Amino acid sequence: MSVLQKSLHPDEKYKAGRLGESLGRIGLVIAAVFLGVSVVVAFHYDQWKRFFYAYVVGWSFIFSICVGVFWLILLHHLVRGRWATAVRRVAEAMTMAFPVVFVAGLVFVLPLLAGYHDLYYWAHPDAAACVVKAASGTCQEYLNPTLVHKLGWLSPGFFFGRYVVYGVLYTAMAAYFARKSRQQDESGDPKLSDSMRIASGPAMIVYALITCFTSFDVLMSMAPKWYSTIYGVNFWGSSCVGGFAALGLVVLGIQRTGRLTHSVNPEHYHDIGKWMFAFTFFWAYTAFSQFMLQWYGNLPEETVWYKYRLFGEWQWVSIAMLFGFWAFPFVFLMSRWTKRIVPSLVFFAVWQLVFHWLDLYWNVMPSYDWLSSAQEGHQVLTGPLTGSILDHHVGFSLLDLTVWFGLIGVLLFGIGRNLRGNLIPIKDPTLGLSLAHENL
Amino acid sequence: MSDEPNPTPASSASDPGDTAVRREGRLYGVLAEYDTPGELIEAARKVAGAGFTRFDCFSPFPVHGIDDAMGIKRTALPVAIFIGGFTGTVGGLLLQWWCNAYNWPWNISGKPSWSIPANIPIGFETTILMAVFASFFGMWLANRLPQVWHPFFRNERFNHVTDDAFLLGIEAGDRRFDSQATAQLLRDAGAISVELVYLDPDRAKRQMPKWITAFIVASTAFALIPFAIAAKARTSHSSEPHIHIFPDMDFQPKYKSDQPMDLFGDGRANRGEITGTVARGSLNADETFYKGIEHAPEGDHWTTGFPRQLEINDALVRRGRNRFEIYCTPCHGYDGRGMGAVPTRVATTGGAWQARNLVDVSNPVAINMPNGQLFNTISNGYNTMMGYAAQIPPADRWAIVLYVRALQRSQNAALDDIPPDHRSGMQMPEAPTR
Repeated sequence: MSVLQKSLHPDEKYKAGRLGESLGRIGLVIAAVFLGVSVVVAFHYDQWKRFFYAYVVGWSFIFSICVGVFWLILLHHLVRGRWATAVRRVAEAMTMAFPVVFVAGLVFVLPLLAGYHDLYYWAHPDAAACVVKAASGTCQEYLNPTLVHKLGWLSPGFFFGRYVVYGVLYTAMAAYFARKSRQQDESGDPKLSDSMRIASGPAMIVYALITCFTSFDVLMSMAPKWYSTIYGVNFWGSSCVGGFAALGLVVLGIQRTGRLTHSVNPEHYHDIGKWMFAFTFFWAYTAFSQFMLQWYGNLPEETVWYKYRLFGEWQWVSIAMLFGFWAFPFVFLMSRWTKRIVPSLVFFAVWQLVFHWLDLYWNVMPSYDWLSSAQEGHQVLTGPLTGSILDHHVGFSLLDLTVWFGLIGVLLFGIGRNLRGNLIPIKDPTLGLSLAHENL
Repeated sequence: MSDEPNPTPASSASDPGDTAVRREGRLYGVLAEYDTPGELIEAARKVAGAGFTRFDCFSPFPVHGIDDAMGIKRTALPVAIFIGGFTGTVGGLLLQWWCNAYNWPWNISGKPSWSIPANIPIGFETTILMAVFASFFGMWLANRLPQVWHPFFRNERFNHVTDDAFLLGIEAGDRRFDSQATAQLLRDAGAISVELVYLDPDRAKRQMPKWITAFIVASTAFALIPFAIAAKARTSHSSEPHIHIFPDMDFQPKYKSDQPMDLFGDGRANRGEITGTVARGSLNADETFYKGIEHAPEGDHWTTGFPRQLEINDALVRRGRNRFEIYCTPCHGYDGRGMGAVPTRVATTGGAWQARNLVDVSNPVAINMPNGQLFNTISNGYNTMMGYAAQIPPADRWAIVLYVRALQRSQNAALDDIPPDHRSGMQMPEAPTR
């Protein structure tokens, strides 16, 4: 028997059966309970602003997991990958959560259209008024010129339009690869692999662009005067850490139900762990690139973003990120064994998911105080420059967690919806190579 | 050590394999060929299972699982790479600390001479460099490279090993080696051919060719010459001129400014402007526009208005503000009160120097200056202030004069000066209550 190829184990349970339905139901219950509690709390204590901020963090979390996993599918097709074929169907099911994720995102996007402006302060009516005033030359003291020029892009209507475009593109691309892959289960036609490979190149370009722009729109515009061109790359790096960690956990969860027990082995977990390790470093690399240029350039409109994160209470969160999201997992995931011993990989996957969430939290939440410490009128647009940094608190709220958990439920529901039929692409030409995969 | 001949006689009876075997040298080992990587792995497993240790597999590409089949332990190279990388991190940071903070601290714009963020990129690079060195040279060491010659090279089949051959070779030095039994073992494992390989009787042919050794020694010595020259220069004095590698580039047959020259009466290479001539575009005859001077019968005086070329409007004020904020604010400050970034920094070092307060009504030097004199000050400087004629074109200098006038007015303005419909945003915000 050649060791380069293996056929599917005869006892392998690769049918999803009712797994997807159960997962979807569990997800719905989690979502209903936690989001229900969050809404009640937000309503009772009038914490809607906190709710929406927490929602953006939580939404970015589930969105980024789909983004990270989708990248594996695209790359796998693009470079004719082999090892991941055994887990690709699960990855496809995860990316097919994109439509659910984007529908869930309407919770914070639609209020924007309806005139809610506490979440993104560029949506404040004063911002629009200032564009008019700036044209007549009277508003410049209050409004950084860089923001005036961005207000065309950052307007609720255009924002909503782009959001829809992103959602449609992600969904269409994910659906294309998932559908072709399922078609191959029926026909076994190797040409389907070719067509997916041909499509993966352009899809990768579109994917890169819309991932970048989604992060600009949803996360970076929280601080609309601030800008960083590497922001999208940094978000993507963090997303891939989360994506691979989540993929590992989902596959392991499926194995716990007695499915895929012969097909997925430590070799595959090892490779998932390798990607997690690589992106852990990549995240740190881009985060430091972003920081160092702004730190060195020392321009007030850039450094203010870091000033609010590196001093006062937020500095402890930043330090936690440095050691928790990078140093600790970097050192320990470096070894071959921490990635191959499954419980250890699970530990790091959960760990990195928590810190990936903290990364998003760290990106979004410092903006929370900008409006509350500002005064009415034009002052609202001076944003982060008001108040002392020492008065700027992390202000952790239980809503941050409940909304996050609720949205994880939404993600599980989205994954469960598509976890049906074969859990492995049984007629993919590269499946034999993937099953026999060995790391040197 | 591996090419030490085995005492097994080369002429042992019934050599397996073909007739092309040369018998003149001593037996080095046996080389078997297999058809597929899978068969190679199986054979390797059998050979390792039979207790052989001095054998190796050769294939055109990495064969997954072969390490396991051969019973090779995992390499310790990752540990070496980690140590190398860690050394690089620490060494890179130490190097920067020693250079920048300890041995030669140098004040650059008041920046700290030791600052971790600035040192990370170098530390990152040295980490990678040392990790790669450890990886590359550690691999050499572990595989006893460089090895330019191997006894198996004499075998014809071995030439295909980078192409399509999957070979397994056992050294005769292995204590379990027996030319017949071992060959049979390999054949039983599915070999498509088994051949004995003998050492070349000519010892010289088993060693690295002399010219390669000579080349390595010579090129190493050559590479050390620059270091030797640098080392000599550090410890000795020389009155010799510099070495000119490209003298015709260093000494070109042309004159530079202010060099002597015999051709002209004044002995200079420079040719000044001829008296009574003006270079193209440099006439600047309009004294008001270029110098701020107005001619009058009772004598020349600074102009109090603006040159007629300029249209006084909002755009010009904005242009003036823009130029002012680039060229003037470092000293005069955004409000013109003389405390820009430079005086502020002087104050932090204990000094007391301030630029001219342009808007002060109690000492209205700048307020009382006619426009022409302000223009002249910008152009040619005043006390410690240098002239900006070289940086700022005349029209922009006038725009700055205009903006300074606007600044003088706005900095001393009362609320009544503001049009009523613009007053709403100008109220001072109330102090926040704590």
